[in-house]
Amino acid sequence: MIPTDIFNFDTLVVGGGIAGLQTALDLGDQGYKVAVVEKDASIGGKMIRLSKVFPTLDCASCITTPKMSAVAHHENITLFTYCELNSLDYDGSGEFQGMKALITQKPRYVDPVKCIGCRQCEYVCPVHIPDMEQGGLSATKAISIPFSNAIPQLPIMDIENCMLCGQCEKACPTNAIDYLQKPEEFLIASKTAVVTTGFDLLPVKDNTQYGNGKIPNVIDSLQMERLLAPHGPYNRVLRPSDGMEPDSIAYVQCAGSRDKSMGVSYCSRVCCMYAIKQAMLLSGSLPLADITIYYMDIRAFGKGYEQFYQNAKAMGIEFIKAKVARIDRGENGSAQVRYELQDGSGTATANHDLVVLSMGMVPGWNPEQPVCPVSKDTDQFITSIKPKISPVLTDMDGLFVAGAAAGPKDIVDTITESGSAAMEAAKFMSKSLMEN
Amino acid sequence: MSPQAKKEQNKILILATETCAYPGADSVGQAHSTYPANTYILRVRAPVLFPESFYIDCFKKGISGIIVMSCGEECPYEGAYKALAKRLDSVYKKMKKMEIDIKRLRLTAICTVCNRAFLNEVKQMDQLIREIGPPQLMV
Amino acid sequence: MSEKNQNVGVYICYCGGNISDHVDVEEVRNRVEKMPGVALARTEMFMCSDPGQEMIIEDLKSGKIDRVVVASCAPSLHETTFRDAINRAGSNPFIYEHANIREQVSWVHHGDTATDKASVLIASATAKAKQLKPLDPIRVEAKKHTTIIGGGIAGIKAALDIAQTGIDVTLVEKSPILGGQLNNLDRLAPSGEKASEVLQELLDQVLNHKGITIHTDCKIQDVTGYVGNFSLDIVTKSDNKKLTIDTGAIVMATGSVSYMPFEGEYGFGRHEQVITLKDLIPILKENKSAGSVLKVNGKTIKNMVMIHCVGSRQIPGIHQPKENGQLNEYCSRTCCAAMLNVSNQIRENFPETGIYEMYRDIRTYGRGQEELYNQASKNKVIFMRYEADAQPEIIPSPKPDYPLQVKIKDSLTFNEEMEIPADLVVLATGIEPDDVSGLASMLKLPIGTDKFLLEVHPKLRPVEFPITGVFLAGTCQAPMDTGEACNAAGAAAVKASALLSKGYIELDPFVAEVDTDKCQGHGACVEACLKEGALELIEVNIEGKIHKKARVTAALCLGCGACAAVCPEKAIDINGWALKQYEDMVDAIVSDGFTV
Repeated sequence: MIPTDIFNFDTLVVGGGIAGLQTALDLGDQGYKVAVVEKDASIGGKMIRLSKVFPTLDCASCITTPKMSAVAHHENITLFTYCELNSLDYDGSGEFQGMKALITQKPRYVDPVKCIGCRQCEYVCPVHIPDMEQGGLSATKAISIPFSNAIPQLPIMDIENCMLCGQCEKACPTNAIDYLQKPEEFLIASKTAVVTTGFDLLPVKDNTQYGNGKIPNVIDSLQMERLLAPHGPYNRVLRPSDGMEPDSIAYVQCAGSRDKSMGVSYCSRVCCMYAIKQAMLLSGSLPLADITIYYMDIRAFGKGYEQFYQNAKAMGIEFIKAKVARIDRGENGSAQVRYELQDGSGTATANHDLVVLSMGMVPGWNPEQPVCPVSKDTDQFITSIKPKISPVLTDMDGLFVAGAAAGPKDIVDTITESGSAAMEAAKFMSKSLMEN
Repeated sequence: MSPQAKKEQNKILILATETCAYPGADSVGQAHSTYPANTYILRVRAPVLFPESFYIDCFKKGISGIIVMSCGEECPYEGAYKALAKRLDSVYKKMKKMEIDIKRLRLTAICTVCNRAFLNEVKQMDQLIREIGPPQLMV
Repeated sequence: MSEKNQNVGVYICYCGGNISDHVDVEEVRNRVEKMPGVALARTEMFMCSDPGQEMIIEDLKSGKIDRVVVASCAPSLHETTFRDAINRAGSNPFIYEHANIREQVSWVHHGDTATDKASVLIASATAKAKQLKPLDPIRVEAKKHTTIIGGGIAGIKAALDIAQTGIDVTLVEKSPILGGQLNNLDRLAPSGEKASEVLQELLDQVLNHKGITIHTDCKIQDVTGYVGNFSLDIVTKSDNKKLTIDTGAIVMATGSVSYMPFEGEYGFGRHEQVITLKDLIPILKENKSAGSVLKVNGKTIKNMVMIHCVGSRQIPGIHQPKENGQLNEYCSRTCCAAMLNVSNQIRENFPETGIYEMYRDIRTYGRGQEELYNQASKNKVIFMRYEADAQPEIIPSPKPDYPLQVKIKDSLTFNEEMEIPADLVVLATGIEPDDVSGLASMLKLPIGTDKFLLEVHPKLRPVEFPITGVFLAGTCQAPMDTGEACNAAGAAAVKASALLSKGYIELDPFVAEVDTDKCQGHGACVEACLKEGALELIEVNIEGKIHKKARVTAALCLGCGACAAVCPEKAIDINGWALKQYEDMVDAIVSDGFTV
């Protein structure tokens, strides 16, 4: 069935993380009409979920929220959140020649027009579920606005866990609760598209060497971001299993990166820096704790990064050049780390109260035929056909890529690349304008 | 005049920057964390706007405490934070001369999600002015 | 400020219980209605809804009110909503003030105190509203033209991007040729494209684009003006021809140079067999010799040592600073991949030439770069790791077969001291910014402690300077490879295009304004001003007498208010955020809203 709703835009931006937001702003500011399609209930992507960001140690929220709100209020930008992209392809068949995207609006079970974001539903909901926005470390309600500075301020109902008690419906002052909401399909037709679908971390559960995610107090780096965030699950750094303040914390670098047998063969590019940053933040909040980083090479290559690394060393954070071979359950909730020293002197073990895995990055969106015919490299990230003169060009005319969708990338490089993608999209559109 | 609950004599004025501290105060609201109601938050672009006399006049008018919640070093106006810190130094000197407890004026940096820091600042100032009361000044 | 009595309309929101559960909204309305200056006060279940907005529009249209206060949620959510509504009513959107009685009242206070505080906040907002005046955005005419300074890959790419959106570009290059550092490179890591071909692809387009004017062999003598209206005086170096460029924006793409080792640094300058990677690349480029062993200057290279991090990652107290005290503490980012790329080429073409790479950390972070590293291991390049405080030492070889010997404590093999014989030692020298201190001081551009040009903020505004209309791209900002420099150029280009696309620039109306009647020309404001050029003292002839008066250049004013704080006559204030407004707000707060 072909949906009847068709929206026309100049550019479709796929993904509302920092790359998508910057791309949309740079296009919108030039007068182009932009649609941003986001799979999550809020824009902001991974960045809005971070604590502080290297190398300036700015609060991530303070950098992201202005861009989120600029996008939300921009006269040329329209947001489509909580949407699934079913297909994205060039369509030259009809009158319109350009990108066509088939999208499903997932049901929030809340009428977005009526809802005023007052959270009355959330307060009365009796069902508690793990809050994935807090790395699953604390609880939220089965109907809730995903996080405090989410945009839009609309709750979503977790229909799997909702027990249909009707309390939210009664509490809602605008009758916005709609248990019968259905997914809705629509089309977006645009002259160009920019893929900014970001990354995911490799799942810990796939790594037998690290205990498949079953060892208590072995967490991934994004969970640690939540523990360190000023509005995190516990409001301070505690280890999840028993709420103890950890005295000894370890970082396992290249967890799943630079080793095909453990995950991916490439370098995930940001793990060195975020581990150092987290270690620095930890030594601020837990001044007595011992912090150890097990690493192969420290890749502090960006502006101000090396200086940041040297500061961390001067602060007493211990860097051990070693590859962690396996992690086992230790005593009293600790985890035992077995590592191979890179100086050739053999293996050793150490116990830590909390272990953070710097898991490798994989593409956040992995389009296969027939979803989108854009080419991917062996690393599964979207192929750049001109990596030197314009890394944002793909093998599809009118389709561009920016940020971690084109390979692991830090925020600084992502933001610059997003500007570059917006530039290429704008050029593409002004070129076709001149040709017509 | 309508009946009003007993007048709050101890008032705290908060000058909160629109890019950092003011959204920070909103974030406290979103978290539904309560704090003393004798706090009045004014949204400012950069507190460097206020001359020394503004602070002194506030105390003369009966404000018990002032917290300047800035963006700190992340201030979007280059050089403004330094100028502000210098300004407050001279305000402190004036306050000493006028025998106003300098603890009544606080400069702090509050980020957009610094809920705990915000609550802490408010709590401390509230405790202080409950102890020492409104400034007694000859106007 | 207008002295006539303003009629303020106050609109108080229930927010469907969010406010009204804790604040007695009708009681607040009763109190507010009686406040001086308030023409009417209304309540509504949802002020932000259409009926709520219509109410405001009708009251404005009927002339009952000329100032608006809405008391509802945080201004970040609906300030724009209500300003738009006022606009739709045909009024100026800046006659509006917001009272935040949800996030800062009903969600944090309860009972009578909440009702009292809401009343006081509205009184205070009303006090400000009475002082508000209509404002218009500041419009600055802007020349649809950009000047790019620097004709390396970043400058070329930025020029092309901007020109292709229909904005004219002038590209100024100090040397006689375009292309910058790419002219010194051969095969680019990691994928091996020829630098000359990459460059040519862009150059062909740049040279053929009608919108791009190129001036090579030029020096910039002076820059004046501000966003939209800069003026550059340039002079050609060879024939001293002078030229003035009027331009709307400037992109700094002044690039970088290679670190020059000091004499004796790893034997450089003392042993002819110690060269830099930059020296090796043209040798390899021209080396057509067949055979299984590399020859350099006719000499057979059986064994070569490549040393990483020369002039990069320097540590105070360990490395020797330059004469000017400068230490390059940063990582030069591109050398690891470049070294591995060269090593692989040599090992694959000259398998009898052995290679040792001595490194601190291998930083093959980019796409396809880790493969270079793996490939080097497969190619039997031998890796040795040294610590910053135990750098390899180059000495003449005691053995006759080799001219040099490199001593290293290899931390990959128990910190064992090793002696490696070498026919050639190659130093991976880092990237340093080209010296643009003259230009930077002309344009008032900040330079970081690393001597690179400093952006406003690496994430919020990574390709901008605090000077509006001046951007930066490429290795003048930090070390980057070709792809990264082109991305940065694209990012700078998109900002310049957006800025100039309309032919005028609209700026916030929240800037300083001088009351010339009050101004006595003390100049305190000029001294306090944080933005050079935003405020100046001018001489005005009033009835035959010359008076000094402050004058604001709105296009440059930040609107921070540093000037307002210091004026003894209170003759300067910030539109929309005036000191006087705050004083009135404080009065309203101390009097609980009763004596405003």
